[in-house]
Amino acid sequence: SDKKKVAMDDLQVSALAASATILIFSAIYWTVQIQSVREMLEMAY
Amino acid sequence: MSTASLGSYYRTIITVAVVLLATAFLFSSLRVDAWVGLKPFFEWMGTTWFGVIGTTWGAVFAVVQAFHLLAMALMGGAIIVSDGRLLGLGFSEMDEREVLDKSHTIFSRSLAVVLLTGIFMACGVAMKIYYLEVYWYKMLALSVGILFTYGIKKPLLAKSLDDISPLVRRAVALSSLVVWFSVAGAGRWIGFSG
Repeated sequence: SDKKKVAMDDLQVSALAASATILIFSAIYWTVQIQSVREMLEMAY
Repeated sequence: MSTASLGSYYRTIITVAVVLLATAFLFSSLRVDAWVGLKPFFEWMGTTWFGVIGTTWGAVFAVVQAFHLLAMALMGGAIIVSDGRLLGLGFSEMDEREVLDKSHTIFSRSLAVVLLTGIFMACGVAMKIYYLEVYWYKMLALSVGILFTYGIKKPLLAKSLDDISPLVRRAVALSSLVVWFSVAGAGRWIGFSG
């Protein structure tokens, strides 16, 4: 039914939105962390 | 898009609202206020039975930590199996529904062990973790992981798997892997700090 299709769409759209948020924030966080470790290693060695 | 059809996307609207509110909280002074306000709670944690045992008997702390890490490993295995299956990277000879359901059961039980042992360990090193930035990133990732798994991934996969678009399947599996490996990575970072 159309009603079920919309409900599925809602689940999938919310899953995509949440996934995109997680992937973007994780990429930023780990890039910053790796960069800070790289700077620490450069200062040490 | 009419109001009626907007109402059909209530889950998406709630998800976006939660993301915006959390982002606003993280980038505002409220975050620092909350951190300062939590200090008495962390000081109290150190005075509880868990805190006293954790700081007095190192062997007890080490045994609890061993169970914490074993449960984390079990959780990681369950995530690799379920998300690997969703990504089509393995276990294709097994029924997909069975793989997802059984791995979710293992995941939930090991998460319970992780949380219980984690609370004990947090009491033992309460003031150390209070001042560790990476601890708060771990708690953020853990909260996001739990909300994502039980609020997004589980309801999505409860539907007929054939109705889920390949893009959504891959995005959900990849972000699940990323968020839980971020929790594990931040946890190890705490272990090597201070």
